[in-house]
Amino acid sequence: MSAPQSGEENRFPTRYPHFNVLDKWATPDWDDQTREAIRQRLENVPPIRFLTPAEVTTLEAIVERILPQPDRSAGAKIPIVPWIDKKLFDDARDGYRQDVLPPQRQSWRSAIAGVDETAQVFFGAPFHELDAPSQDMILKRVAQGDPPGEIWRRLPSHVFFSKVLAIEVVKIYYAHPAAWNEIGYHGPSSPRGYSRIWDGGVDSWDAQVEGP
Amino acid sequence: MARPDTDRTLTAPGIHGERVSMRDRSREDVDFCIVGAGAGGGVLGAKLAEAGFSVAILEAGEHWDPTKDFVSDERAASKLFWTDERITGGEHPVELGSNNSGRGVGGSTVHYSMVALRAHPEDFRRRSLDGAVPGTGLTDWPLTFDDLEPYYDEVEEALQIAGPTWYPWGRRRQRYPQREHQLNACANIMVRGCMRLGIPVAPCPIATLSAPHVDRPPCVYRGLCNYGCTTNAKSSTLVTYIPRAIQAGAEVRPLSMAAQITHDAHGRVDGVLYFKQGQEGLHRQRAKHVVVAGYAVEMPRLLLNSVSPRFPNGLANSSGLVGKFFMVQPSHQVYAKFPDRINQYKAPPPGGAISEHFNRTMPDVGFICGYVIEVIGPHAVEFAERLIGGRGLWGAALRREMLDYNYFSGLAMVGECMPQRTNEVKLHATERDRHGLPVAHVLFGYHENDRRLMAHARGKIEDILKAAGGSDVWDAPRTAHLMGTCRMGVSPDDSIVNADCRSHDIPNLFICDGSVFPTSTGVNPSITIQAIAARTADRIRDMARRGEL
Repeated sequence: MSAPQSGEENRFPTRYPHFNVLDKWATPDWDDQTREAIRQRLENVPPIRFLTPAEVTTLEAIVERILPQPDRSAGAKIPIVPWIDKKLFDDARDGYRQDVLPPQRQSWRSAIAGVDETAQVFFGAPFHELDAPSQDMILKRVAQGDPPGEIWRRLPSHVFFSKVLAIEVVKIYYAHPAAWNEIGYHGPSSPRGYSRIWDGGVDSWDAQVEGP
Repeated sequence: MARPDTDRTLTAPGIHGERVSMRDRSREDVDFCIVGAGAGGGVLGAKLAEAGFSVAILEAGEHWDPTKDFVSDERAASKLFWTDERITGGEHPVELGSNNSGRGVGGSTVHYSMVALRAHPEDFRRRSLDGAVPGTGLTDWPLTFDDLEPYYDEVEEALQIAGPTWYPWGRRRQRYPQREHQLNACANIMVRGCMRLGIPVAPCPIATLSAPHVDRPPCVYRGLCNYGCTTNAKSSTLVTYIPRAIQAGAEVRPLSMAAQITHDAHGRVDGVLYFKQGQEGLHRQRAKHVVVAGYAVEMPRLLLNSVSPRFPNGLANSSGLVGKFFMVQPSHQVYAKFPDRINQYKAPPPGGAISEHFNRTMPDVGFICGYVIEVIGPHAVEFAERLIGGRGLWGAALRREMLDYNYFSGLAMVGECMPQRTNEVKLHATERDRHGLPVAHVLFGYHENDRRLMAHARGKIEDILKAAGGSDVWDAPRTAHLMGTCRMGVSPDDSIVNADCRSHDIPNLFICDGSVFPTSTGVNPSITIQAIAARTADRIRDMARRGEL
């Protein structure tokens, strides 16, 4: 269990330190079907069934750089890799795939291996053993489409990074109530809705700003 | 006509959590089998059933119960979208799925943004007014605005569109059925910026109630309209035309994915083969007429998959144009940061304001046709996706920028797209779906006219956001809506259907959705799709009376 890290680069100061969207659980903001969807998200984090333990280790390291959570202990981080694994296990698609990418499962497997291959080329070590600046350097090359490695010759890295990998990570991260809290996103409000919808308008049930 | 000996009763979800009884048409040779229960199929199905025809509507997805099935959450709403694999390519591969493709009764109207704009009279005569454009199939429609005007009236009344007393663009019209909606913060910003620059701006007509209507309540501004409306304020076809269709005796058959349209020895279509989710093998619905209303990707896919010795290139395809002239609408989003709290998540995404000032061919700009400027209101996940797509942010920079989510406000363009023959939906050479059928391969690239139009729009929107006090302006490329692939026209040589949406090749086959648009128009297409469907139903009724069906 890693401890939360301090330091300026590891801080994500929220304007809404006392906002907890889960306080709305039993209010008119949440209906039964929403409660059930969020309960599943919080309580039923799926087990790993598709990726290998080695792939999980690499992907965890990648995801921690795409959406870093150094301010949270290992047990408090928003889980992301288990949901990616579930998507791959179910082979649930998004409704479209660029013709330069292989099918979903193959793309993810190749990309995870590709990141490790690039890490070996640059540093002679697997990706997850590198320090954060080295990992970021590798992912930057992946994002811009020119990482060294044989695997990336068959998989356009910038397409996979910007259209699949990073998108999937934020789809999971910003669907979590803890992420809603830090950005002050009120999320569900059915059946109540909102009244003060103008600029500067804040309903009493909205996240209240405290601090800068 | 009713045959009591074969009547069986089914039930379907009502819109208030109840079950309603519904005729079973599965063993009949129905007058009309409609494939797709969305914007086009819903309207057409209701009107044909009300005209006395026997109707079966096949829908690939679920029949939603709006009181139970819609969740106030972006991630949980993924079931509303067409997520079966489609392959995209070309110079600018389009995003499908949650961007523009619905699945389930109501189709995309369950998750659309409800912007309800009429096309302009000029939109139907682009070739005559603007001339030929090299590299495009720019053409006039076989329909005029006059043909559609009474049907815009009819559909707007049925959907109870909420809009202003006086709308400044397009042909003069009566006031909208319901009063306009309140402006949200993002709309206030647009109005402020436009007024400072002298750009006309008006209340945006949208398809959600601003006052009670029969058994539906007004909108509560919960803002998650793109993920299904939990209160029934939104006038999707699910809660408007579909209940009418069932009431009038149509069967709406969910979880039924059309695989092939069959024909008889004379080359007339005689039924639809479909897969029923959870059951083995193909089922067959016999029909005297078939209407395909599956939107601009699945519609051509179905026609191209319906090959036979008589029609080796697919149905209705003697021109070779099924799938060609695929169009989207360029819909770049532009955002700025503001000192005041905005809360993009509140109220319907169109916000309540719109400008069609640039929706016309303008002098000295280097391009023809135009665009509208609309308000947007992304929720947390979608906004993070825009930061990736627009600014390439990831890592700590992305998470930090998201901390300002409540202080961003955005506008989007919806613009006309040139019809190009090389933009097309075809069958993929190797990819197959779970039933072994070829999936769609969707190829798209912008024309030079599109690129100039997009650059103009981006500049104007930046000006508006800055004039309103915004800073740090950035934009995220995006497309919206799907059109073309089965264009209507006068001649069988260069079009698939005529102005009545009737196939030139096969007189008892109709196509009735956004795919019949020969040009894209510069406005959101839904209400035009629905007006065309309403007109097609009346034309079919009249043709039947004259014995021309």
